[in-house]
Amino acid sequence: MEPLIEEAALENKGASLDAMTAPTGEAKKVKTQHRSPTQIALARLRKDRVAMLCLGIFAFFVLIAVFAPLLAKLEGQDTTTLHQDLLDDYGFPTISATSEHWFGIEPRLGRDLFARFVYGARPSLIVAVTVTVITAFVGVVMGLLAGFMGGWIDRVISWVIDFVLSLPYLLFAIAVPAVILTLFVEDATTADTSEVTRARFFSLILVLSFFGWASLARLIRGEVLSLREREFIAAAKVLGVPTRNVLFKELLPNLVAPIIISTSLALPSYIVAEAGLTFLGVGLVEPTPSWGLTISNATTYYRADPLYLWLPVLAISILVLALSLLGDSIRDAFDPRTRR
Amino acid sequence: MLFYILRRVVSAISVVIVTVVTSFLLFFVAPTDPAGVICGPKCTPDRLADITRSLDLDQPASEQILLYFKGIAVGRDYSTGGVTRHCAAPCLGYSYVLGVPVTQLLANAVPVTLSIVVGGATIYLLFGVLIGTLAARVRGTTLDKAAVGTSLVIGSVPYFVVALIIALYATFLPKSQYVPFFDNPIAWAGGLLSAWLCLGLTNSASYTRYSRASMIEALGQDFTRTARSKGISERRVVYRHGLRAAMTPVITIFGVDVAYQLVNTIFTERIFQLPGLGMRLLNAFNQYDLPVLMGGVVVGATVLVLMNLAVDIFYTVLDPRVRLG
Repeated sequence: MEPLIEEAALENKGASLDAMTAPTGEAKKVKTQHRSPTQIALARLRKDRVAMLCLGIFAFFVLIAVFAPLLAKLEGQDTTTLHQDLLDDYGFPTISATSEHWFGIEPRLGRDLFARFVYGARPSLIVAVTVTVITAFVGVVMGLLAGFMGGWIDRVISWVIDFVLSLPYLLFAIAVPAVILTLFVEDATTADTSEVTRARFFSLILVLSFFGWASLARLIRGEVLSLREREFIAAAKVLGVPTRNVLFKELLPNLVAPIIISTSLALPSYIVAEAGLTFLGVGLVEPTPSWGLTISNATTYYRADPLYLWLPVLAISILVLALSLLGDSIRDAFDPRTRR
Repeated sequence: MLFYILRRVVSAISVVIVTVVTSFLLFFVAPTDPAGVICGPKCTPDRLADITRSLDLDQPASEQILLYFKGIAVGRDYSTGGVTRHCAAPCLGYSYVLGVPVTQLLANAVPVTLSIVVGGATIYLLFGVLIGTLAARVRGTTLDKAAVGTSLVIGSVPYFVVALIIALYATFLPKSQYVPFFDNPIAWAGGLLSAWLCLGLTNSASYTRYSRASMIEALGQDFTRTARSKGISERRVVYRHGLRAAMTPVITIFGVDVAYQLVNTIFTERIFQLPGLGMRLLNAFNQYDLPVLMGGVVVGATVLVLMNLAVDIFYTVLDPRVRLG
């Protein structure tokens, strides 16, 4: 068991830990610091070098996504211009990385790869973050309701959780976009690109959110079931605190750790899901720049143009690896029992 | 025990029925014009009328769902281009795009998916447990840390990326293709080898970690100390006494994983160009072939539910400590 107030923190405050060497006489008042479990965990996390490195990598990709227009402007290219003059008769680029096209251009279409790369960071992060927020919200609310209310509400929600978790998510992820498109537009087979792009974006978020909340809800429900028998909840109830406040003021702060742990582990899995579904052709569609799409297009040119394939492959692997390791570190920081 | 099994079976059936109903609502009731979607871009009024009548799309939704269930139970008839086709008993619909019953399409695809998963699962179970056990024996050494680190990295990189790189660069493996087992078992194994290795090696990463943790726990138990103090050889202690105890949780995860992979081999199938269930669904997606999509989802959900049921029941039989609440 670790000391709750870490020694280093105390020493910084000028207090000595050793009672013998501590100045007697005019006893300096040791400034005790109140720190919540979350603050302790964050302090632990700050000391974890691997976690900080992974956070740095994640921040780097976020910056790329945020400043994509600026970076593309800096290079002087955009994602859609076709540089057909730089392709040979067989559609292979005649140039590799140059000062004009930093990562070269796409075979066949001749679009600038650097611009598509930096813009490609956007859909991954937007979809993953949106889905993480939605699933965390729905999962927490459902878990709280099921665990705290009990009775038929619990039975219904638990059944829905079991039902969602027993569905083949990937098969639905393939089947649903076809249907969603028919809801958005009159005739799915002749829909124009912008409609398809929008429909696909929403259906991706919808499917991932629909299948994502259940596992968190189950976790929260279990936590609430054990917490709700504790004295402080009973005290709040006896004092006549309204149910809403018991749920969100008393219970929720105690659920911060499981929520943070599960969302930080979920985020990379949604990035993988977005890229994977897009790679299969059921996620985002052209002309949206997306790493999954680039990987899918690049498989035919992997010998002639390795950079085309390897850039998005490395980017997505590094991003997901960093986020997974960060998630593990966050779990260790919040739950010292699982420490490596 | 009997009551427990009965209750699980009833709940499994309820999940399957609700899945069929929700997917039916999703595929045939929610779209404004399902017949037009199924009919496709080269649609003639005759064909549209055929589809509407055969699928009873002019009936109220509740009637349509009942007819779908009736089709699964006793089969139903479809008319196409003036010809009436009978779709035999577990009838999951009729693909107007391809002109074949959905059941037949999926029945052709299932052996492919099954072959991929069975071969891959054998590799990752054997390989993962072997490395995990070895790592547990040399716990704390550089070798152990290397094994755990490698498995963490492999487990974190997206599967489709790893599979793609293997498929593109491991050209020394036999060409990936599907030959039915009963036609030529050797060609069957050869054609699937690259997919098996890919699925097996990437998944063995997590099994290394499971079995390592499980093995470390088993080797710390009293019975291991007793076995050692009796003077039994270390090899026998590890592989006879330790491994047996360590395998129960691993086998449970294995059952759930196999069920999961049966409906999730899409990436493997797409990357290695194998015509399994996932590929069939992907093609149906590209052609807006709603009956096939619906059939695939229903079959996938049923397989998943049945496998989970089997694992649960098997687990209670395997481990008598499990209390049935």
